[in-house]
Amino acid sequence: MALQRKENACEDTNLAENEQEGFSKSFDANLADNEQEEFSESFVCCVCLDLLYKPIVLSCGHISCFWCVHRSMSPLCESHCPICRYPYYHFPTICWMLHFLLLKMYPIAYKRREIQTLEVEKKDDCYSPQFDDDNLVSYVKFDHPSTSSSCYAGNLASNPQNVGLSASMGQSGSETQKQHKGTICLKDVFSGSPEASGTPAQVKMMPQNDRQQKISVADVVCSACKQLLFRPVVLNCGHVFCESCIKNSADEMLRCQICQLPHPRGFPKVCLELDHFIKEQFPQEYAKQRDAIQLRNISDKPETPSCSLNKGGGGKAAWWSDPQSNVHVGVGCDFCGMFPIVGDRYRCKDCKEKVGFDLCADCYKIRSKIPGRFNQQHTPDHEFEVKQINIMQNIMRLVTGQLRDGSIENLPLEGIEFRLEDLDLVGDGDGDGDGDGEHTQNDSEGID
Amino acid sequence: MATVNGQIETAQGNITTPSKQPLPAAKSVDSQSVLKRLQSELMALMMSGESGISAFPEEDNIFFWKGTITGSKDTVFEGTEYKLTLSFPNDYPFKPPKVKFETTCFHPNVDLHGNICLDILQDKWSSAYDVRTILLSIQSLLGEPNNSSPLNPQAAQLWSNQQEYRKMVEKLYKPPPSA
Repeated sequence: MALQRKENACEDTNLAENEQEGFSKSFDANLADNEQEEFSESFVCCVCLDLLYKPIVLSCGHISCFWCVHRSMSPLCESHCPICRYPYYHFPTICWMLHFLLLKMYPIAYKRREIQTLEVEKKDDCYSPQFDDDNLVSYVKFDHPSTSSSCYAGNLASNPQNVGLSASMGQSGSETQKQHKGTICLKDVFSGSPEASGTPAQVKMMPQNDRQQKISVADVVCSACKQLLFRPVVLNCGHVFCESCIKNSADEMLRCQICQLPHPRGFPKVCLELDHFIKEQFPQEYAKQRDAIQLRNISDKPETPSCSLNKGGGGKAAWWSDPQSNVHVGVGCDFCGMFPIVGDRYRCKDCKEKVGFDLCADCYKIRSKIPGRFNQQHTPDHEFEVKQINIMQNIMRLVTGQLRDGSIENLPLEGIEFRLEDLDLVGDGDGDGDGDGEHTQNDSEGID
Repeated sequence: MATVNGQIETAQGNITTPSKQPLPAAKSVDSQSVLKRLQSELMALMMSGESGISAFPEEDNIFFWKGTITGSKDTVFEGTEYKLTLSFPNDYPFKPPKVKFETTCFHPNVDLHGNICLDILQDKWSSAYDVRTILLSIQSLLGEPNNSSPLNPQAAQLWSNQQEYRKMVEKLYKPPPSA
């Protein structure tokens, strides 16, 4: 049967647009689309086996879609890269540079992915960060409230080669931004930070149904040196740098030079897919960059950061099997991305989205004003409440943690559900104590 | 952010007060995307022409596949062919499929009902695995059993004596009816 479907699809290659009926609609359309617009093997997500959509680059350098990463993460303990099992417990932000690169290179296939994803998101009533890509000139940058414009000015001054360039780019960026209902308010995000615009103005105004556009060096530049990326690394905040442009002192947590967000777990590894792609696309410029950087390394101190596996990972060892750690199972921090939240958890009382808006203790102190990671319309005047951990979930976590020694991603959750249900039915009367049932409980609070 | 899709939340959804608008049946993955992924896998598998393994969905259920693997050369399983079934959960590939031997397989890590003890099908599962890698892993498991935690102790014991083991394999082997 499947064979036949395949032949069908091959026959009407040109009918991608019209392919609306037929029982195997999605399959045929899918296939026909792919035939119309071949995309490079490097940009296939290893989870959904389709073109990457809203790509996230993990610390290990492997790329996956926003939802594919989120769904692959363990709600109970630290997660592992699907490809190399490299551990992580912060949900990274979308790499917007890569997003716009893919959109530019494969507009049709990327649009198809957008429509598909949005369909699912509507059904689940939970959205990935939404962008009006027609109006977006630069990729998003999360402003950090404690490091306002003055800080950026300082950064810029210390790095004089950037000043002229980035200031002009910033201007063009903020003019064209337009706030869009249901999208992240870019004005807020960009205010007072001229350095924000990573992609120069050539990217703007992409006609939707255009054929593939030629990409330029400007689409793949380092956020720091503004040159073509050489051995790119992507931080947890989604910003892309040359490996050699990241400054890292051994005793301090690595922070993004653009948004000041911390990058947990030591130095990220080079995103090899992106590196190979750039090398192929721009061989001359790439070689030039390589020579320049090697030269600089020789004349400067050759302190190239090492990708040590355990750096930064040792301190938080095995919190998931520690009975003292308060793990909020299945709840993540919307600022730093820690998932699940360990320690105190603050939940926004005013965000109405089903997914809710939560912060870990550290990020609550900073009082972040960024929008949520699932497009929640969170604003700074929203109030927070401390949420208790779900005791039962935590007990189950520990039990299963001991049984499986931390590797409990695939424990039979059915069993837990059953027991949880039992408990919750008993303790259902006393409102807030149990800390779970968060969506519905909070909803009802909001309505009352 | 909280998991909207995890099973835990689903459990909570079940116990919510009836006055509230019920949460949508929070399936972690849209079945359309599972379908899509399985179709991509099928395509890739057919294109690759991998020797020694094959798999194809049941007549009208793409969530249920039948696979075959052949015993690798230079192992006691050389020349044998085994049929397996793979049944995919609704949240595949975030959860592994259930894989079973349909043909009797005398192997330390396969029990008498055909259940397989293989870490990548359990706690070491990763969403980047697919049918091809699963079948290849099982194929290599045949030649390299993990004798420290056997499902079939008799097979584990006999493993050290490869000649006897080969005899046993031949004795118990019932070739699957040709498709």
